[in-house]
Amino acid sequence: MTLVGLVVTFLGFVIAFVSLGVSGSTGVRMAMVLAGIVVSLIGIMGVMTPAYQKTWIFKR
Amino acid sequence: MTKKIVIVLAVLACLTGAGRAAAQTPITDADLKAAVKPTDRTNGDPDGSLTGTANDIAIADAKAGLTVADVLNQIGANRIGVNFAWTLLCGFLIMFMQAGFAVVEAGLCRAKNANHTMMMNFMVYGVGMLAYFLIGFPLQMGGAGAVANLGGSPVLNSEFTFHLFGKDIGLFGNTGYLLMHHGTYDVAVMVIFLFQMVFMDTTTTIVTGTCCERWKYAAFMVSTMFLGAFTYPIFANWAWGGGWLAMLGSNFGLGHGYADFAGSGVVHSVGGITALACALILGPRIGKYTRDGKPNAIPGHDIMWVLCGCFILAFGWFGFNPGSTLAMSGNGGLRAASVAVNTMLAGMTGSFGGILYMWIRYGKPDASMSGNAFLAGLVAITAPSGFVNPIASAIIGLIAGVLVCVSCEFIERVLKIDDPVGAISVHGTNGLWGVIAVGLFADGKSNYGGSWNGVNGNVTGLFYGDAGQLVAQLMGVATLLGFVFVLSFAFNLFVDWFVGQRVSAKSELAGLDIPEMGALAYPDFVLKTESEMVA
Repeated sequence: MTLVGLVVTFLGFVIAFVSLGVSGSTGVRMAMVLAGIVVSLIGIMGVMTPAYQKTWIFKR
Repeated sequence: MTKKIVIVLAVLACLTGAGRAAAQTPITDADLKAAVKPTDRTNGDPDGSLTGTANDIAIADAKAGLTVADVLNQIGANRIGVNFAWTLLCGFLIMFMQAGFAVVEAGLCRAKNANHTMMMNFMVYGVGMLAYFLIGFPLQMGGAGAVANLGGSPVLNSEFTFHLFGKDIGLFGNTGYLLMHHGTYDVAVMVIFLFQMVFMDTTTTIVTGTCCERWKYAAFMVSTMFLGAFTYPIFANWAWGGGWLAMLGSNFGLGHGYADFAGSGVVHSVGGITALACALILGPRIGKYTRDGKPNAIPGHDIMWVLCGCFILAFGWFGFNPGSTLAMSGNGGLRAASVAVNTMLAGMTGSFGGILYMWIRYGKPDASMSGNAFLAGLVAITAPSGFVNPIASAIIGLIAGVLVCVSCEFIERVLKIDDPVGAISVHGTNGLWGVIAVGLFADGKSNYGGSWNGVNGNVTGLFYGDAGQLVAQLMGVATLLGFVFVLSFAFNLFVDWFVGQRVSAKSELAGLDIPEMGALAYPDFVLKTESEMVA
């Protein structure tokens, strides 16, 4: 799951970056960048953190 | 009188474009007749009126005497000299922030780990600087181009780019290795190196706070080396070194490109996000959480050092933010006054925001959170300080003061990530808030030579009519979360596999001073046992 979380987090950056080439509209770019930020946050907090919590010392 | 004549001649030479011929016009004896002579000072100069005159202008050719060219050169040298002095002094102030970080972090850890925490903060300076000297600086600033305020040295001129979406996308610099490569043995480059180096070191010292009390010293050194050599310089290149984020305005029409005046994103978010990545890998300290995941408070051992350290940091911040004008003379250098006041105001409102939040929510004005809220206000204003007005600064700081408390609670209780000093919230969360705040509050009144990041005009945020600037700032946030985090996490995972990030449970329970450093910070103290601390 750690790898999946890393991929999802990086995907958020890719979504934001690709917005530069997809459209010249500020609104479209803003929507894509915000979507990218949300995807990255899901990757960090929704996938990676729960995956790592299982290994932490108070869970053993 | 003579000085006036000389100045008039100089101005005339400039205005008429008389060029080399006029610039070589000798100033006559008549011009100098009224000049103060060295003999006039035989009785001293108590009011200073005889010191600093035409006699002090450096002469290129003694036979020719004082010429207009000499005067013009002196004017240029004075301007750049003032800017050098300002930038270097601000760099020295920032370097002193290392002491502030050291005592804040050591004060917030337990006495049994104080030597280990101080030693991380001590060596982060050397390890980070070595990495930056060998690799980091060329990657960050190798393609930054000439900095007009520091003499316009053109030697930092090699940026590695690739072509995408019809534009050149700058990825990293490629000159300045060992400060000798391709003419970078240059006084202006030295000033830039010193100033940028202390910024980088601030980033590396943020991570040590989050990871203290359980981080293996060898792993800390390797991790810091990578942060100083690659993670920080790459993002800093993108933001400050002519990289693709800085060029979002000129290449893609997004405001003035990613604008981060003194580093809420570049310095603080990079540090905070790397701290988050390391904290995930390390896991919480023994005793921080019960088996069902409830957090225990583990108080630091010296709150006086914590608050004293906050003041040291706030003092250093006057180098951090106002120093980022890189000038006191020309191209908006005088704006440093506004930057300094904005910095003060945001720190003040930040501490109010934090103290009021804690007082209302828990019935007491928590000391450590008050300190963190003070720092959060300073972190948040770091990016916008050069672009916003005082009222906006106060608002940004107030929001930061509340945000840091909410963020600390969320990270501790929901994510269950153990951050002994709150660095992820102070620097990570509020660094991102500062980056966004530029895109909202920049008022378009700052003027640093008529353009920013190669786009004419002044940085203007959404509330003053430029939505594109907010998109550029959000792109920076997306890059910090989606790229910097992934890079930091991946590298620190390798360190964990090959070196091991965490100390043994036995060492952790004993305190890291003896197992890791071989000496206690307080050998005469009677330390409490782990069970007494948790109880």
